[in-house]
Amino acid sequence: MTSLSTKPALSMDTLPSQRARPPRLPHSRRGTRDAAVWPLVVSLLLLLLICCAALGPLLRGSAWWWVCAAVASAVLLGSAVFRRLGLPRPLVPVANIALLVATLTLLFGGGTAVFWFIPTPQTVDTFAGLIDAGRASVAQQSTPAEVTLGILFLLAGGTGLIAIAMDLLAVTLRWPALAAVGALVPLLAPGFIIDDGADIAALTAAAIAFLLLLRVDVYVRRAQEAAQESARDPAGVRAPRVYRTQRPRGTGSIGGAVLVGTLTIVGALILSTLTPALTTSGLVTAGPAGLLFGSGVSPLINLGQDLRRPKAGPAFHYTSTGTEQPYFTLLTLDQVIGLTWTARIDGADTRNTVDDIARPFGLDNSVETLKASTSVVIDGVNSHWLPAPARATKVEGLIGRWYWDSRTRAIASTTGNTLSQTYTVSSLEIKPTADQLRRSSTDYPASVLGNLQLPVNPPPIIEQTARQVTEGTSSGYDAAVAVQNYLRSSAFTYDTEAPVEDGYDGGGVDVIGVFLQQKRGYCVHFAATMAAMARTLGIPSRVSLGYLPGVKSQDFQQGLGQYDVDSHDLHAWPELYFVGIGWVKFEPTPGRGSVPNFEQAVDAGTPTSGPGGAAANSAPGLSVDRLADDSALERGATAPSAASTNLLGIIGFSALGLLVLLLPGITRRMLRLSRMRRIHSAGGAAALAWIELQHTSLDHGIPVPVTETPRAFTMRLERLRRLDTESTEALDRVLLSLERSRFDRSPKRADTLADDLTLVLRALHASASVGIRLRATFAPTSLFAALGAVLLGERRARTLAP
Amino acid sequence: MNLKPTRSSAELASVPSADDESAVDLSELQEAGRAIMHNVETVIDGKREAVKIALTVLLAEGHLLIEDVPGVGKTMLAKALARSVDCTVGRIQFTPDLLPSDVTGVSVFNQAERRFEFKPGPVFANIVIGDEINRASPKTQSALLESMEERQVTVDGVTYPLALPFTVIATQNPIEMEGTYALPEAQRDRFMARISMGYPDSKSELAMLDSRDTGSPLALISAVVSGDTLRDMMLTARAVFASSAVKEYAVTLVRATRDDRDLRLGASPRATLQLIRAAKAQAALDGRDYVLPDDIDSLAVAVLGHRLVPTSRALGHHHQNSGPLIDDIVRRILADTPVPVGLGASALPVSMPPVRIIPSRPVGSTGQS
Repeated sequence: MTSLSTKPALSMDTLPSQRARPPRLPHSRRGTRDAAVWPLVVSLLLLLLICCAALGPLLRGSAWWWVCAAVASAVLLGSAVFRRLGLPRPLVPVANIALLVATLTLLFGGGTAVFWFIPTPQTVDTFAGLIDAGRASVAQQSTPAEVTLGILFLLAGGTGLIAIAMDLLAVTLRWPALAAVGALVPLLAPGFIIDDGADIAALTAAAIAFLLLLRVDVYVRRAQEAAQESARDPAGVRAPRVYRTQRPRGTGSIGGAVLVGTLTIVGALILSTLTPALTTSGLVTAGPAGLLFGSGVSPLINLGQDLRRPKAGPAFHYTSTGTEQPYFTLLTLDQVIGLTWTARIDGADTRNTVDDIARPFGLDNSVETLKASTSVVIDGVNSHWLPAPARATKVEGLIGRWYWDSRTRAIASTTGNTLSQTYTVSSLEIKPTADQLRRSSTDYPASVLGNLQLPVNPPPIIEQTARQVTEGTSSGYDAAVAVQNYLRSSAFTYDTEAPVEDGYDGGGVDVIGVFLQQKRGYCVHFAATMAAMARTLGIPSRVSLGYLPGVKSQDFQQGLGQYDVDSHDLHAWPELYFVGIGWVKFEPTPGRGSVPNFEQAVDAGTPTSGPGGAAANSAPGLSVDRLADDSALERGATAPSAASTNLLGIIGFSALGLLVLLLPGITRRMLRLSRMRRIHSAGGAAALAWIELQHTSLDHGIPVPVTETPRAFTMRLERLRRLDTESTEALDRVLLSLERSRFDRSPKRADTLADDLTLVLRALHASASVGIRLRATFAPTSLFAALGAVLLGERRARTLAP
Repeated sequence: MNLKPTRSSAELASVPSADDESAVDLSELQEAGRAIMHNVETVIDGKREAVKIALTVLLAEGHLLIEDVPGVGKTMLAKALARSVDCTVGRIQFTPDLLPSDVTGVSVFNQAERRFEFKPGPVFANIVIGDEINRASPKTQSALLESMEERQVTVDGVTYPLALPFTVIATQNPIEMEGTYALPEAQRDRFMARISMGYPDSKSELAMLDSRDTGSPLALISAVVSGDTLRDMMLTARAVFASSAVKEYAVTLVRATRDDRDLRLGASPRATLQLIRAAKAQAALDGRDYVLPDDIDSLAVAVLGHRLVPTSRALGHHHQNSGPLIDDIVRRILADTPVPVGLGASALPVSMPPVRIIPSRPVGSTGQS
């Protein structure tokens, strides 16, 4: 073998001239148009993922991002594979859409699909339900929103559609700058919805990704020009004239494109940061027709919109065993953020199941309570929040997973909605006496102190009016009744139109100032005003949204005692906190609802509630309040059984993920076994054995250049000193076998070939380091190389025989 | 000096036997090759590569050009090789005033017989050593080169065939340019291979000081192979099998030289032919009856190098001696050309029709008819 050292010397880089030369992949230039598109697709994907991440401030958690990433990757990489397989260009978007549907079916189909990804009519129904649920969830939640399954579906679907559009624009039509328009949708959404505007970091990252995309496009264009040029002269197909100078044709226009793109991004960045919070000015669209509240961002406004709807639709009907017809609470706005009333979100805990709702916060035993049961049948309410009487203790018959908020006791669901639910609510009616209310102390527990907050500079008229109206009252209760009476007085007019016409709609604190002067408004204004005034007087308050008790059913077939509630019964009312009693509803809106008459209770009530009893009440009332503080609430709230349903899903997903991770290794192993079998059985399998040897070397990080002769490769392997004597001899036999089969006249059957090969492969594997061995087992390089070769081979076959 | 007619008739007789079966066994050939190499290496230290290529060229019936600076043993190699084979050796020392007739021979008037008589020149030998070939005038050079290609000499209208085997081993000095006539490309093309000796490594040089201190080392060696055996060996080497994959590889390589950006002139089809022929000889010397791509690889620099002309851009400052540069270019082309191994579409070996070696016409016979 002495004469054979020229080539190994070359390939081992012993020649300085060789070392300096950049290694040239033998097939690197063969890629035509579609081969060069991979980098483009990858940069598109990067841009899209960054833009999706920009939605972060709007949504809770981060799991949704992974779903979006999976869908986007599937679509974009899938389209690249389609192109690689030579699918005609017009068909790629169609195939992409099919891929998107299959992916969504796989993720959201929930067992309705055939083979997990072929959608069936049931799947379509499921999707429609998810879309409805998602839209409803979007409408009802405030930011950051809980990502329900419906929202997740909308996100995933939207991401997929954007990905298809981007792919179409950037790869098929080659307008990558326009592709960014799609990416702008998720990028700029936070800027329009929440006050803080979009995240600067996300915008910058997206801008960088976009510039990268443009740059990659330029690179791809040039590479393609070069490829087309070389394809034009047939002799140049395999000619090693790789250093052909590429004419910088079109550099000017491309540079211009980059400049334009830069300006666009910078402009968008500036615009987005300057964009004011547009939420209050009504940019947020109203919810779909028939819905309760248009948007979780400003439910008060949308309540007004629903009230102004000319025709009322049925909401629900119910029968109640209570002594009075209950107000149905949907949600409670207990915090003033900025100038608006919003639902505080930090108390939500999805583990609070509705089977057992804790005793109302701050309710003393001495207060007379009455258990009531209300059976509700939902007719038209499509909401994320459940209409239920205040102080519900138990809800039965609900479909889906519902939880109750440990602060406001609002009942909500992350996955379901109220549509066509039938349920029974057990609740407590409280019958406090006016005396108890009057004697309530002002020693408020910590958890309601937040309900005293007002904006930094509220309109002074609020406090002035409050002081004026409550002059001469001695207790908080009397003051509250005075305010209520003032608002219900003839000075105020109930009017759902005037505030909109005069531009002071909503329950914001600034609006209250206007309302107190105009004295025209509807329940939202009255409720918010009373709550705000109570706060200025030092009484914790909040605003509840829900339904009035409705009217007695005229339908005799339904039986007596049934009440119908329609959408015009939507209502807002204030609730004030009294130590020892808890949250007590008031009704300041003139002509609406019923005024709680606690004085009446005194008259009607037994005179046993003497001074002694009352005195006994106030002191324990305080202690109960302290006991029933937040910790107690949370202790009772946990529901351990909720996790078990998740477990199965987690295990399933883990198994699936594990399978995906192991797939390359398993495939490689099966490939090797099949080759070994063929080597055993077929004569002249030396070439096959050689392929296996080369692939194993590749797996173990040993390069296998096609320009190397088998003998040179063998010598290199032997020089690596990773084989012992025995396996070296075996390797020589394998080599000889290959050479004879490939270069000799008649190949001779080598019986020991399979054994020799096994020996060599084992030795190769055993001598590698642990990391390399792991890589070879689980992420075999050769598999991907082989896949590439197959794809290339198919392309080649297509170009040869079109 | 032998005259050709007798020889070539003997040659003709031996050809049919070579057709059916190789005259000598491969192992015998390998053995003889080893003996020759061993013999030569007793006088040339540490130049195994050069010696092997020289022997390969001899076996492949080609001509060898040894190009190097003075004093590295060019002539010694040529002489040692010639001496290892028991055959006739002619030696021409080229000088500027050497005439073509000094190479080919002259017709002299025989006073006694009153007719012209042909006096064959030194070219009528089995191995002709042409020393400092670039010192002779182009006219003289071409006289030798013509005989190399056509293996015959025409003097005064009479054609005389040359001996078989006929191998020219020419040496030239690439550095000394004063008063020399560099061989034109067309004439360089007729050499099968060019080798350069290169300086010996320090160990070999030290050993040389000990062993070659006195006397002519050439006196120590004697022929180890007879001329007839050498002829048989040549026939055997010719019968070595070159698969289509190997041939394809050779063609790809040669075509690559024609398209290379650094080369003004690529290799000729004759180069392809000679590359395969040399590869066969080398395979035979290794005891194989089939050619490997490795044979092509190891010979490509020697066989292709002297036929290539680099572009002036690639040449850069190497005006004096383009040899190393061209060797690098050939090595690069080798490293860039994929080897046709059984990794193509079908993993199973394609049963190739056995390529029969067409019995080549005895080269010396043309003039006979």
